[in-house]
Amino acid sequence: MAVELTENQQLAAINADYEERYGFRDAENYLYKAPKGLTREIVEKISEFKSEPQWMREFRLKALDHFLARPQPTWGSPLMAEVDYDDIHYFVRASEKAGRSWDEVPEDVKRTFDRLGIPEAERKFLAGVGAQYESEVVYHQVREDLEKQGVIFVDMDSGLREHEDIVREYFATVIPPNDNKLAALNSAVWSGGSFVYVPEGVHVEMPLQAYFRINTENMGQFERTLIIAEPGSYVHYVEGCTAPTYSSSSLHSAVVELIAKPGARIRYTTVQNWSTNVFNLVTKRAVAHEDATVEWVDCNLGSRLTMKYPSVYLIGERAHGEILSIAFAGKGQHQDAGGKIIHAAPNTTSNIFAKSISKDGGRGSYRGLLEIAKGAHGARSKVVCDALLLDEHSRSDTYPTIRIGEDDVNVGHEATVSKVGEDQLFYLMSHGIPEDEASKLIVNGFIEPVTKELPMEYAVEMNRLIELQMEGSIG
Amino acid sequence: MPQVIEVCPVDELKPGDMRLVEWEDLEIGVFNCAGTVYAIEDRCSHDDGPLVEGTLDEENCTIECPRHGSLFDLKTGKPKTLPAYVPVDTYPVIIEDQTIKLEVE
Repeated sequence: MAVELTENQQLAAINADYEERYGFRDAENYLYKAPKGLTREIVEKISEFKSEPQWMREFRLKALDHFLARPQPTWGSPLMAEVDYDDIHYFVRASEKAGRSWDEVPEDVKRTFDRLGIPEAERKFLAGVGAQYESEVVYHQVREDLEKQGVIFVDMDSGLREHEDIVREYFATVIPPNDNKLAALNSAVWSGGSFVYVPEGVHVEMPLQAYFRINTENMGQFERTLIIAEPGSYVHYVEGCTAPTYSSSSLHSAVVELIAKPGARIRYTTVQNWSTNVFNLVTKRAVAHEDATVEWVDCNLGSRLTMKYPSVYLIGERAHGEILSIAFAGKGQHQDAGGKIIHAAPNTTSNIFAKSISKDGGRGSYRGLLEIAKGAHGARSKVVCDALLLDEHSRSDTYPTIRIGEDDVNVGHEATVSKVGEDQLFYLMSHGIPEDEASKLIVNGFIEPVTKELPMEYAVEMNRLIELQMEGSIG
Repeated sequence: MPQVIEVCPVDELKPGDMRLVEWEDLEIGVFNCAGTVYAIEDRCSHDDGPLVEGTLDEENCTIECPRHGSLFDLKTGKPKTLPAYVPVDTYPVIIEDQTIKLEVE
């Protein structure tokens, strides 16, 4: 005899297969969780918790004033109207302090990390692991040889405690707190993120990696990353983001600042795979001095809305900037991605390659700025943005802005929008490849110029994620 | 031809004070930074923000653009933080007969 379930039982049943359906979700277990909403008291509490110096406390409070004074941006995406700043926890503390070794990491946190495969990844080729669980880094290890080279790779909170002079000199010089509303928000409530300092001439051979997670319903994650590469140095920083799916929205708003001194090179790779309820509103900006190179490799797969335009200010002669961007917009998603390059010095060069794929009514936008300032003679730049539409209901937009204030420059811009054509599919299928395989092949070929720039592990993960996104796309 | 214009009596612009001076098509911000007077173009080179409406830091002698937060060095006109990267014009300040004057062109 069939038993009729009560409404509550039905609701519970929906979540019963949560693990199978959405990955995993550990029970919440925290030392401290701030109430929802943002007030002066919460900002003060965060600063007090972290025993911060007075200047940082004042910095946060000033940023809070900027945040409150600024209206919500209305450009970009209509989904911005859904962000409810009063419905978010701005600070959650998972454990007392950052664990120094794997053994010290709390068991429940460890379980989550095990599912992410961090220890294995570390054994394989991580140079160091920083894992952001909720608002604070709980596990962070720097390989001994990095320390011997004088490289600093710690969570931002430790960076402020242990290297206050360096942090104070560079913090918020690339992205001031009132640069925009979201940067102001991050500046007021930031927690965690990475602090990387590479001394002059040092080449960090292995990529530095950090994993980020959100695991509390309605929790904002506001990490703050600052990377300083002294003259002639090299570093590759990789961040991958994942989050379990929740029924109400979460906000992720990071600030990432990169400083490449003369002749230095920084590569920053992101694989973003937030669950599709997360608003991912991030400010990333780099400054490249003379002969320096900055590369952003930015892959956006998840989130409900991503608005992210990594930028490079080429302020020294012969500096080079590179932005490689992939965005995959599935059902209900809007990926508003792109990049900005500002040529502020002579003989600077840059490339922007942006690829977007839209499917099941998803929306992919390219939004970019290329600016060549007066006096930046001999600047050369190439912008290519391609969009691939997988069905009739999806949407692609391109918003390229090019400002040129100098005559002696060389700028190229190409844009294409294409559909996965019947003839392409037919050609592959006539070689015995099933339709869904053929479709995957076309998509993989489309994004290959970017995935080949990813570290092997990430390239594999990207292809796997794209395949998952592609499932059920035929018929 | 450089020309000297009067701003105000010295005691009208106390330490921490700032004011806007307009002359022909120029808009100039005049700042008393801990007792020393500086004058710079009142237009952020990033997005035309009005610098005299920003926050003056007397200790570091900088003005913060109210629009996007670039810090300008009042002595040199150079931006110390992004998003501005082009310096703004500076103007020589003359203190004469208990009056603040600027040299403009």
